[in-house]
Amino acid sequence: MSTGTASNRPRYAPLAPDPRARAHLLVTDHQDIAEAAFAPGIGLADFPERWDVVAHARVLPEPFGGPGVQHFRSASHLLALLRHRLAAETMGLRLYVTGSEPFVWDAARVAIEAGMGREEMRLFATGKPVRRVSCVHCRTINPGVTTTLVTCAGCGVVLTVRDHFSRVHNAWMGVQCDAEVPGEVPAIEDLSA
Amino acid sequence: MTNARTLHLKVARADGIAPTLRRVHLVAADGARLPPAAPGAHITLTLPAPAGGRPFHNSYTLVSADPEAGYEVIVRLSDRSRGGSRHVHESLAPGDMIEATAPHNLFALHSQAKKHLLIGGGIGVTPMIAFVTYLREQGASFELHQIAAPAEVGVFEALLALRTGERIHIHAGRDAFGLTALLAAQPLGTHVYTCGPAGLMDGVEASAAALGWPETHVHREDFGAAGGEPFVLRLAASGIDIAVAGDQTMLEAIEAAGVDTPSLCRGGACGVCMLPVSEGTPEHRDHYLSEAERGAGCLVMPCVSRSRSATLVLDI
Amino acid sequence: MATRFKSDETFRDDYRYGNSDEGVLRFPFPFVEDSYMYSVNMEPHTRSAAPGVFAAAFDVDEHYVTECAERARALALEPGRCMVLPHMRDAEWDTLELIMESLALDYPDQFALERHGLDWTWTNRPLGIHQSFRFGDATTLPHPPFEYIVRQAQGDFTLQDQRDGTLYIDGGVATTPADWSLAFDVGMTFHEWHGPVPLAHQAGVFDRALQYLMRIRYGEPARRLNWTMTVHPRLDTSPENYPLWGPDRAGLTAENIGSQLFLRVELQSLFRLPRSNALLFGIRTYLASLDDLTRVPKWGRRLHRVMRDLHPDIAGYKGLTRYHDVLVAHLAQFDDGEPTTPGIASDIAVLPA
Repeated sequence: MSTGTASNRPRYAPLAPDPRARAHLLVTDHQDIAEAAFAPGIGLADFPERWDVVAHARVLPEPFGGPGVQHFRSASHLLALLRHRLAAETMGLRLYVTGSEPFVWDAARVAIEAGMGREEMRLFATGKPVRRVSCVHCRTINPGVTTTLVTCAGCGVVLTVRDHFSRVHNAWMGVQCDAEVPGEVPAIEDLSA
Repeated sequence: MTNARTLHLKVARADGIAPTLRRVHLVAADGARLPPAAPGAHITLTLPAPAGGRPFHNSYTLVSADPEAGYEVIVRLSDRSRGGSRHVHESLAPGDMIEATAPHNLFALHSQAKKHLLIGGGIGVTPMIAFVTYLREQGASFELHQIAAPAEVGVFEALLALRTGERIHIHAGRDAFGLTALLAAQPLGTHVYTCGPAGLMDGVEASAAALGWPETHVHREDFGAAGGEPFVLRLAASGIDIAVAGDQTMLEAIEAAGVDTPSLCRGGACGVCMLPVSEGTPEHRDHYLSEAERGAGCLVMPCVSRSRSATLVLDI
Repeated sequence: MATRFKSDETFRDDYRYGNSDEGVLRFPFPFVEDSYMYSVNMEPHTRSAAPGVFAAAFDVDEHYVTECAERARALALEPGRCMVLPHMRDAEWDTLELIMESLALDYPDQFALERHGLDWTWTNRPLGIHQSFRFGDATTLPHPPFEYIVRQAQGDFTLQDQRDGTLYIDGGVATTPADWSLAFDVGMTFHEWHGPVPLAHQAGVFDRALQYLMRIRYGEPARRLNWTMTVHPRLDTSPENYPLWGPDRAGLTAENIGSQLFLRVELQSLFRLPRSNALLFGIRTYLASLDDLTRVPKWGRRLHRVMRDLHPDIAGYKGLTRYHDVLVAHLAQFDDGEPTTPGIASDIAVLPA
């Protein structure tokens, strides 16, 4: 199985508000957004409405509100309310998402299901590469993978993490690395950004 | 797959439905089934020119399309008609034979739309009728705003066969229609489809863009840019001059002149038919040459490209 | 048609398979010259006047009955290998109509289609099927319409929705895939599902191919040939089952490579579907062993030269690396250095013993 340099890896562009949009909503799965997530000259102040995650339950965010910051209890909590917010929105909204790659594509999925096109969202994954790997043999999702090889939690084979990503499944493809000669396992490396 | 491109049709009915509108019902000349079509598709009819000039190729949206019952189009008599629509209104009669292209769709409904907003003006009602028929069958969410000349409001109401509770609005004249407010009120996931005078379509595009709609959610009627102006092609090395007609490709003209030249995809993508240009300015319509190559003007893909200059000289 | 359908073949487990001499001579040899690189090698899919794989819209050959049995077996074991997203319902019926019409037109002594309005009757003699149904009403067929008809066609198929300036793979059947997963790829765009292919992206091959595909018109389909290699005449070389077929690659030797290594050629065809405006992508797969193909002198010479000079990235992507050296060494005996004619024709009418 060749990994080579060919890939459908998503390319992320640093975020900047779309001047043609009617309204903007920035969501993230943590609190402090890195400067690198923004285009040069752009910062938090350019996004009047922002949702973030505080990782505790002592908040009650306003999902249909206007300018300001809303704090959510977890990424799941944020995404659930995002679904409701988008169902009530009108055309002209842009959604900006930054955070871990799995979160970014979970949010993109909510937006797609609400009828938004790819041009209506801007995505920027941050942090060390951490991947959800779908074992193509047994369909188990192996979360939190940071290396080029992972032992599948479902069927036990050692998977090579192919550079082939599904936006629909929000997962990378894992294929047995030593199917041709059992035990002939390549060297394990960290995933490169 | 043998050239299914040309359909041989026969006029089954032709009825005036308004002073400048004629509905024509076409069936297969041999009574065979016709290709099915998706709403938004059009066919291109070959219509005779007065005094035996080169025929017209006029595109008309299919108001309805059934493989056994046939096709329906509605033709507006155009003031600026070079003769095509005039022929349909004044000469066309049941029993007449007409050649047509197979249906082609450049104005299709989007599969991911949560709601379809239809905005038509005048003869632009024709794709709207096809869309409404289909969306009703699917139980899909839609809303139609059709601008009509006051005298034609009744005709369009009859064509659209309004049902209770449907969001179909026929506006007498353009002023009655609040485009900006309409677009601003649409829920996320709406796609807008517009057909009618260029001014209306441009207005819908501009208003949608100003309200932050992405381009992929705005669709306008498009019959495609087939053919162009005729020009003279000179094959310098062979010493041959070829007249390329407006409705044939450069490659077809070269082949018709009996000159052997390579080709493969015949769609501007593979590069096999590429020829060197020594004089004249090519009009590039291919997907193969780079921006730089197009600018230099020394190469051309004869399967799809044409000429800006009256004469184009190739080094073959 | 003169073809006799083989009745006792398998494409897994015990691999009882063979090509008749006619089968070898009509094989769609994919190399037009003595070297290979990715290109936009698409051309109109017109019916060839000469007999062969290009004479019909959907080629039916001597393996028709056994391949349909293999598909049935594959779907019984893994039903998820055929899936269509809900918004492609019109495309399902378009596909059923296109394949039925084409088979009845190209092979009138084997297939027949009678239509009276929406009441259709379909006859498939090789499979012994006689089915009356109502077009558009899935309750009148034993399977959903796309699945129903692909169970009676050779090769895999995908359904592609054309929107947003690209194509989305929104359905299909993949029981004979050359190492790609429909379940994983469903919903990807044209560029995304071609992601793993090396070199072609930089050469702009996919940008041009996409522009060409989106302009394909009803009644004017296109085709191209693609190739790889498979050990044993195994149709199901899916990533899902790689643990089952992968080890075969390590079992090739100089002694067995001629009979056990198969050239796998895909005749890919693209049809515009009329009611859905979608594209049907057909992936018709042909298998012939090296022993079969090297009986044709031109093909023996060319195979050696192509494989000897193949770009390592392409060899890697096609899974040939492990046995590449053995392959080239084996093919050398068929290359006497004589020139070969351009094009894919065998240049012979009868296969030498």
